[in-house]
Amino acid sequence: MLSIKQITPWKTALFILMLLPMLLGLSYGLLYSFGVIGLLNTGFTTEHWSDVLLNFSFWKSLLFSFGIGLISVGISLLIALWMVVNWHRDLRRGKLSTLIYLPLAFPATVVGFFIFQSFSKAGFWSRFLYQIGIISDIEDFPSVVNDAYGIGIILASSFIITPFLSLILKGIFENEHVTKFQHIAKSLGASQRQVLMKITLPILLQKAKTSLLLFLIFVIGSYEIPLLLGRQNPKMITVAIVDKAQRFNLNDIPQAYAMAILYVLFLLFLFFGFQRLAKLKTKAYA
Amino acid sequence: MRKHIGQSIVGFIILFPIVFLLILSFGKQWYYPHILPNLWQTSQWEALFSPSFQLTKSLGLSLLLSISVGLVSTVTAFYFSKKIAYSYNKTTWLSLAYVPYLLSPIIFALLIHFYFLKTGLSGSLLGVIIAQFLICFPFGIIICSTFWTSQIQSLENLSFTLGGSTTQTLKRVLLPLAKSTLLLCFFQCFLISWFEYGLTHFIGAGKVKTLTVSVFTYVNEANPFLAALAGFLLILPSVLLLLVNKRLIFKTSKKLADYE
Repeated sequence: MLSIKQITPWKTALFILMLLPMLLGLSYGLLYSFGVIGLLNTGFTTEHWSDVLLNFSFWKSLLFSFGIGLISVGISLLIALWMVVNWHRDLRRGKLSTLIYLPLAFPATVVGFFIFQSFSKAGFWSRFLYQIGIISDIEDFPSVVNDAYGIGIILASSFIITPFLSLILKGIFENEHVTKFQHIAKSLGASQRQVLMKITLPILLQKAKTSLLLFLIFVIGSYEIPLLLGRQNPKMITVAIVDKAQRFNLNDIPQAYAMAILYVLFLLFLFFGFQRLAKLKTKAYA
Repeated sequence: MRKHIGQSIVGFIILFPIVFLLILSFGKQWYYPHILPNLWQTSQWEALFSPSFQLTKSLGLSLLLSISVGLVSTVTAFYFSKKIAYSYNKTTWLSLAYVPYLLSPIIFALLIHFYFLKTGLSGSLLGVIIAQFLICFPFGIIICSTFWTSQIQSLENLSFTLGGSTTQTLKRVLLPLAKSTLLLCFFQCFLISWFEYGLTHFIGAGKVKTLTVSVFTYVNEANPFLAALAGFLLILPSVLLLLVNKRLIFKTSKKLADYE
């Protein structure tokens, strides 16, 4: 007789816990978006998909999120690289080594709220500039929050990512013995600039590329920050999807599911495509 | 000199939000262009000691939720990470563990919400615990999988060769060695749960009022002072946990260095 242990090996259990909920969710979304199930759906149709695919605002949201992600990760990378290259000893010991961990304790909700309260037109910095006489009216303060360019979202995302990235780069700097390579290069006559461009940056960036991709995906998929700091147009993709799903118009729900599935496919393509590319490159070098 | 100025600016950027939230949490009125609140109060902080205060309830609920999710995720992730580490498809399983992270919690919540509605779990604490577990568990696997090195496998085999049972090997060999990994995994899962808003709000249907949900509620009610207090309470345990966590990581790396 078969024992329960044989019927449910660990792989089945892991599949149920890790992948099944996701697959069930995706299947439900797929069926709903094709009109097979759902409250007002009447039968199989590709209408909702064509509505989404031909809808400019969906692509705009996706591109906007991708752009915000790239800029946020880019800014964080520049700051983190600069800190690690110039202050790697201070990041290992001293006050900065403790301070750099603190922002890791800030949830996106709190960072979003803080940026809103400090950078909005009636926020702290507007008041500060008014008191020292740089601006004479509340309207003189630039729109940084709920703005068209997503500056508030970029500020908040960069604030969250930079410490994480600094710690990752610091770890790579130490584990890869970058200082030793720098000394060797210098003793062989390399200039300061050559050491930076040919030794330090390539080592750090090569090892940090997967983390950078994960941070990019994190920003694209963030919800709390754009909800607090974004605006109606252009919308970040997650906010656009949830807004469509929660509207009073029930006819919009299939479109929301189609958007969600397209978004998931985009991210899976981004992640696994990148991994495949990295593998091919490694093989080519080998 | 330039370095000191630069580091002072970084220090200011990091510490300013904490001080700002603390100041705002004592505010009662903050008219433009006052830099600091023009009226102050301590009543909301005092109200925290009253069990009927909504924020106190949210604090308790968030702690209960995050500790439960952290514990369940750590135990299951530790078990499955061992199975994965010793299997032939290690890389495939570990790549798949990234997928729930890629999905973004709010989109994941949107896709699985139907099943929570059907099972009556939507709007309940248990529903939110399960939904958060589904996000934290794969992440826990990624963390725990770093523990199962060939050295650990050899030690486990040695214990069996010397006559140790499975329970004895787990209790006397594996768990003491895995202590720091387990704590790290628990802290990370606790923090994911503690920070989570979108999924909690969606699956909890607004009924499971955690601290993050409270921040949004107070922001929508245009009450920045209570939102700041909720925000400060959100930061406090995570700062403490991270300082312990940092010490833990530091200790581990020091031990490893000594060992080498």
